[in-house]
Amino acid sequence: MTAVLAASAERRRPAFSFGRWLEREGVFGWLMVAPPVVFLVALVGYPFFYGIWISLQDRPVAKPGVFVGLDNFINDWHDPVFWQVVANTFVYTIAATLLKMVGGLGLALVMNQDFRFKNLTRALLLLPFIVPTVLSTIAWQWILDPAFSVINWALMATGLANPGPSWLGNPYLAMFSLIMVNTWRGLPFYAITLLAGLQTISPELYEAATIDGAGRWGRFRYVTLPLLKPIIFIVTMFSVIFTFSDFQLIYVLTRGGPANATHVFATYAFDIAMGAGQFGQGASIALSMVPPLALIILAMAIYMRPAKS
Amino acid sequence: MVAHSRQSRRDVLKLTALGAAGTLLGSAATQAAPKSLTMMHESSFVPPYDAFFKNQLASAYEKATGIKVNYEVVSVGSLQTRVTTAAENGSGPDKFVDVSDIAVEIGKESGGWYESAQESVVVNGKWKAIPFGNIGQLMNWRTDWFKEAGYDKFPDTWDELLEAGIKLKKAGHPFGFELGHGFGDNHGWLYPLLWSYGGREVEADGKTIVIDSDETARAIDFCRKFFKETMFEDVLGWTDVNNNKAFLSEQISCTNNAESILWSAKRDFPDMAKVIDQSENPKGPKGRFHMLNPLCHAVFTHTQDQKAAKDFLRWLMAPPQAGAWYDIAVTYYQPFLHAYDDAPMWKVEPRNLPYRDALKTAHLPGWPAPLSRAQSETIAKFVVIDMFAKACAGKSTKEVIADAQGQLKQIYRAT
Repeated sequence: MTAVLAASAERRRPAFSFGRWLEREGVFGWLMVAPPVVFLVALVGYPFFYGIWISLQDRPVAKPGVFVGLDNFINDWHDPVFWQVVANTFVYTIAATLLKMVGGLGLALVMNQDFRFKNLTRALLLLPFIVPTVLSTIAWQWILDPAFSVINWALMATGLANPGPSWLGNPYLAMFSLIMVNTWRGLPFYAITLLAGLQTISPELYEAATIDGAGRWGRFRYVTLPLLKPIIFIVTMFSVIFTFSDFQLIYVLTRGGPANATHVFATYAFDIAMGAGQFGQGASIALSMVPPLALIILAMAIYMRPAKS
Repeated sequence: MVAHSRQSRRDVLKLTALGAAGTLLGSAATQAAPKSLTMMHESSFVPPYDAFFKNQLASAYEKATGIKVNYEVVSVGSLQTRVTTAAENGSGPDKFVDVSDIAVEIGKESGGWYESAQESVVVNGKWKAIPFGNIGQLMNWRTDWFKEAGYDKFPDTWDELLEAGIKLKKAGHPFGFELGHGFGDNHGWLYPLLWSYGGREVEADGKTIVIDSDETARAIDFCRKFFKETMFEDVLGWTDVNNNKAFLSEQISCTNNAESILWSAKRDFPDMAKVIDQSENPKGPKGRFHMLNPLCHAVFTHTQDQKAAKDFLRWLMAPPQAGAWYDIAVTYYQPFLHAYDDAPMWKVEPRNLPYRDALKTAHLPGWPAPLSRAQSETIAKFVVIDMFAKACAGKSTKEVIADAQGQLKQIYRAT
């Protein structure tokens, strides 16, 4: 009975059915892609292109902008602080990324071993990454504080230094401290991602390598590293982007001081746009991040490309 | 750390170049009834001050007029972002409404305005905000340690202060003046220092860059010596919280700050509070100067019912309301109106009196040039602060002046 009814219903259906049309692969596929595309266009694409448009204007807060072409970029070019910011950003990004890469890989290799409380340790490892940056940075502010620094207290108690180093007052130490804090925060991201990568490597490969006479180093060099390469690339790319455009950590700890020694693109752009109220100039500084970032990522992509046999 | 309005002053300065410094942004009485206004205010260092507005003033106004006043507290340091956002969401050629009419009335009613009030908010002859109070930056010092070094009163000149600092540092009580990228305690002494040696960034015409002068060089040379012989390296990286912490933890014997150190000490370290005093900044060869940190109330141009906002401000600044609000904060906000010169609040803590007297010699950064966008950019780029800081960190006077001159020329688009 049901079958008969169904069949008759089918016969009565018009040639075009919206439901069927939706189910067509070409349509359904686009439909599924549409929300993220709309999301990206609205929240990434639009601000990005609006940023470009603003960077070409003299645009004070709450006032209409005047098109000035590349004037803002030319001003940046002649601004000595801008070049200091460029240098700072590169030093910060390169040093912190390298430290995170080496440290993260080491940590991942350790975490990949079998030991008691392995899972708990792995979970705890993520803590620096989970705690909101502003909060953990405030803790660091105390650790690096001249009067209350626990490091300086330890140094003084053991007679190694008196007074202790000025972690945020000395321009070089300030940059060093920021790199350390950034590394501390970013290490778990590297470690956990690389650990996931390590776990996908088949033990058989290690066995085969061992039979072929490879030692620990040999196994790492010829099995682990090549297989991890794509993951290292992805993680490093993310890390470079995040570190290059870091803001919170620096803003909380030094606000770019002392004497601009730790100003990076994001903090400087913020000061100019939101502080001085000059959106055009601020946007031009922020946008100046794009070409070097694109170049770094391109260079990395080329370097990490799997060798063609 | 005084943060609050120092921040707000500079923010608004920076944002608008109007010089309307401060917080209140009367906004939107949108629907016909019931009407409401929103007052955006940076959270005060003095908690009862915020509570008094919410509990007393707002409800009194609602009772009298039927208009509800929302008090929106913005955390210290984020007012600037909020104001920028609010202004961006509005429209209009200017950001703030001309409030000259009520400013004149308020002045007449309360003994007249201090000159510095006008310097804070008057742009092209128009009052763009109603100055409420100044958060002065003065010398905070330990009387017991100074006494041990042979000083019964605070040194009158920078040179004498240097001399005292050398002795105190030797005795294990260095000075600590902020030279980093904070938003207030660095400006609080470096601009006055520059001015007291006769140095200026720009002429009063707002165009001619005059930072490259013998006077500036002398101020820098003094600052370097002052830093090396009385302080320690950390101050180069300090932001506004550091000097408060250092002072209250007995690491330093003198700093430049608002009333907040004495406030905190009275609350948390009553014994220490007994040996803290506050004095005007020392004199230089060209006089004595202070930083102007006005907290002002302005009305956004996008406020729909501007009259309601202005009426509210007018009411707020009448002696029964303003006087009570000043009283709650006990001179933390120093009134710009002469009627309060001898108000009873000054007798509550006589050590705060120098803050009142400092108003006469207080100026905004960029003085004597009129307010402009370029000035805001100069502050955001820490041009003057870094000029001194770089000299203290080891660069030559010539180099740091050349750097500052280059930056100022670029900022002021001068040749």
